[in-house]
Amino acid sequence: MSAQGFTGGPLQVERLPQRKAVNLVMELLAWLTAVIAIAVLGIVVFSVARRGWSELSLNLLTKPPIPFSFTNAPQGLANAFVGTLVIVGIAALMALPFGILVAIYLNEFARPSVRASIGLTIDVLAGVPAIVIGIFIYGLLVAGGGGQSGIKGALALAILMLPFVARTTIEVLALVPNSLREASLGLGIPQWRTTLSIVLPRAIGGILTGTVLAVARVAGETAPLLFTSSLVGAHTSWNPTHALLTVPLAIFELSESPDPKDHARAWAAAFVLLMFILLASLTARWLANRSARKIAGR
Amino acid sequence: MASIDTTSTEPIRRPFEGRRVHLGDVLLQGFAGAAAVGVVVIVGLIVWKLVDSADPAISKYGVGFVWHKVWNPVVGREAYGAASFLFGTAITSFFALLIATPLAIGIALFLTELAPRGIQAPVTALVEMLAAVPSVVIGLWGILVLGPALRTNIESWLHSAFGFIPLFGPPSASGASIFTAIIVLSIMILPIVSSISRELFLGVPHELKEGALALGTTRWEMVRGVMFPYARGGIAAALILGLGRAMGEAIAVTQVIGGGVFIHWSLFGQGDTLASKIASEYQGATSNLEVASLIYLGLILLMLSLVANLTAQWIVRRVERRHGVVRGGRA
Amino acid sequence: MPRLGTSIRTITALAIAAAVAVTAAGAASAKRATTLNGAGSTLIAPALAVWGPAYSKTSGTEVNYSGIGSGGGIAAITAKTVDFGASDAPLNPDQAAACSDCVQIPWALSATVPTYNIPGLHSGQLKLDGTTLAKIFLGQITKWNDPAIASLNKGTSLPDLAITVAHRSDGSGDTYAFTDYLSKVSSAWASQVGPAATAVNWPTGVGGKGNPGVAAIIASTPGAIGYISVAYVKQNKLNWTRMKNAAGNYVLATGPAIEAAAQTVKSVPPDNKMSIVNPPSSSKYKGAWPLSTFTYVIVHTSSTQAQALRKFIFWALTPKAQHLISNSFLVFAPIPKVVLVAAEKTLAKVH
Repeated sequence: MSAQGFTGGPLQVERLPQRKAVNLVMELLAWLTAVIAIAVLGIVVFSVARRGWSELSLNLLTKPPIPFSFTNAPQGLANAFVGTLVIVGIAALMALPFGILVAIYLNEFARPSVRASIGLTIDVLAGVPAIVIGIFIYGLLVAGGGGQSGIKGALALAILMLPFVARTTIEVLALVPNSLREASLGLGIPQWRTTLSIVLPRAIGGILTGTVLAVARVAGETAPLLFTSSLVGAHTSWNPTHALLTVPLAIFELSESPDPKDHARAWAAAFVLLMFILLASLTARWLANRSARKIAGR
Repeated sequence: MASIDTTSTEPIRRPFEGRRVHLGDVLLQGFAGAAAVGVVVIVGLIVWKLVDSADPAISKYGVGFVWHKVWNPVVGREAYGAASFLFGTAITSFFALLIATPLAIGIALFLTELAPRGIQAPVTALVEMLAAVPSVVIGLWGILVLGPALRTNIESWLHSAFGFIPLFGPPSASGASIFTAIIVLSIMILPIVSSISRELFLGVPHELKEGALALGTTRWEMVRGVMFPYARGGIAAALILGLGRAMGEAIAVTQVIGGGVFIHWSLFGQGDTLASKIASEYQGATSNLEVASLIYLGLILLMLSLVANLTAQWIVRRVERRHGVVRGGRA
Repeated sequence: MPRLGTSIRTITALAIAAAVAVTAAGAASAKRATTLNGAGSTLIAPALAVWGPAYSKTSGTEVNYSGIGSGGGIAAITAKTVDFGASDAPLNPDQAAACSDCVQIPWALSATVPTYNIPGLHSGQLKLDGTTLAKIFLGQITKWNDPAIASLNKGTSLPDLAITVAHRSDGSGDTYAFTDYLSKVSSAWASQVGPAATAVNWPTGVGGKGNPGVAAIIASTPGAIGYISVAYVKQNKLNWTRMKNAAGNYVLATGPAIEAAAQTVKSVPPDNKMSIVNPPSSSKYKGAWPLSTFTYVIVHTSSTQAQALRKFIFWALTPKAQHLISNSFLVFAPIPKVVLVAAEKTLAKVH
């Protein structure tokens, strides 16, 4: 690896001004790209905030929508917010134990070859488009008389969450020092007890982080619910055996409406959703920093 | 975090000889093992169910479905084909990648080489927050803000200035066009490509970088001569993962792309991708053959995503082996 | 370390408790009122938005409805993902075979309306006839100041603006009525595109989802023309087109005009399949709107919800319910007596 490889010619001091100029241009371009990225994020968030702020009110969260309203009676998206709470909650309850168990198996019990192949499968599952998972659950459970329901929607979301939860749990379990396990086993504590009472609690911070991130991602998903929980009425329901409206789906439908009042409600709902997701991401990041420092730094 | 680290050669934590096997051990291993198998089962089920549900269309059209250009749901004249949507997927993903890649690499370089210590963390966080914005919100912004803005400002200018290039046809009527979809997709894949690139650049060994700089290269020459070649494989994987993401995005695309069964070169016209067609037609599909054809589209999409994903994973694992990297840091 | 561990444990415990509470609340509310779930036509959606609360007040049964297009409604009821489907298009032979124990009951009368967005022209100013409309949607007329349009609109100055055709991208009963009309008035349309259908291979134009989708395109695109259910035209304050009916008069889609078109039904066939587009030229229909359509509710003759469905549909067919939606806001017209009798006869099969 000679110096010529870098400059395409001998490192000539005489050509230094040109080389420095090229360098400067490239550095400026790099700065520019960073500015563009921040600008884009800023524009999107600012757009949502500015347009959503005016329509933001308690009504949005507490009043159900009134379709085809010819009056100015207060309406909101209460059914969507409740539906999101219920469906995402159930999805998390499904994905969390599943993901933790998978991670425990891969990290505590599995041979390296098994670990490799199942690890690959998890990564493959993470790459399946959300809409394909929606069609999958539809074909499996909804079509042919099954009917839509919040639980089926939650199942689709849980499949989306699973790879995230599994991945972060595996990484966090791997961070727990082996010496701890060996000490525990050496004391005669059975492996299952070791795993559940000693290893897992040390990893709980990371697991929580992974779950919060997964919840944040899945709270904004529309495609899987399009086929599993979209035929809904206007009143608020907590019942997951019926199809429930979710906030992203509500935004999707309102966004294609011609009525500016619908657009206003879409912006407001988008603002609330965005704030929730950003807050959750920041919380997860904070949690991750704390637990990483705790495990590694001590 | 693109893949699970499987390169560790740690001894297996199995009970050593002579130990009693507790019921709890068996149970835990059983349940956990079942969960692990469950993941494989889910992936298999997804493929199987899609093939099974698309069967009426597969048996009728076979592989030829892929290059049929027609999509006609009229009773008595029904004919379906994926070609126009494959075209849409290809064009939108290609151009989105074209736009996002230089930006993403630029940001990654900025964050690893140029950013002052204080703004590194906030800017990294901001870029990752862009990834957290739900696709439906970007789509909402696309329909109501970006589309009309592009139509009045950029599309008309590009058409009048460069209209002789078939890419720049007459501007779209309402802002919904393939061009808007391309911009939206670029925004969505930018964070993925940039965060993976950033990790790759952070992983370039210091000695290599310092060595080059010590030889008198400028920073750009060092990037070009050391970092790019070193991270080349990983960046390829990042691009492919971004491609996979762009191909699979249904909601934001269907909101802004306008909808249509056309194969044409103008970026300002309407169209559909595999994913957006499924999203817009699925609820209203009338005949069994139409539903099966839509699922066939989904199957093609799944195959493409799997190929992209597996290719990226293969590249990552090969690169890691070559560099002898052990990620994850087992204590 | 213990403090952080405990607080995280507490948070986790609280979160799980909250999730369980939410699920319990959901399960508890499961046993309350009867709910009827329906999906389909966006044309009938405004009517159901009025009928739903009114019916819930008298009977306690909740009616949930999702406007996903008539095609979607037929698919949903065939797949039994809903209790009732709503469609402006009657079942075609394949669909009837697939939904073998289904009946279709006409329960409302409305119309689809060509609407336009031409700068400078106000509502009701544009005049069109069937042939010209067909040519526009075939893509043969591409500018608003085309001689063919101008000859129908003497005295109105039409701009030199490109026509953007807007149509439905989903399976739609409005599309069915619209294409039914076009195929009857234009042989070019019939041969190039085909007969009435809920979804066709459009020669030109931009697709929108549902009536709201098409309305959105028209509202935001100068030069656009599309076809929309009457209630949506009113609600979004779009421009009405005057259509020339077979009797030679230019009419607007008002309640009386739609009622006049419905008078063409002398007797109802056993499967209730009726087409009232393009009424004949006799003086009896001189004021008839040529794009009127009945709209149907499709249910299985026997199902777990049959009783509740029967009560609901019976209520919807009563004069009181029909008058609830035949007002100046929604512009449905009350269904004629002969159709009402046929509807109730079919309803008797549902039990």
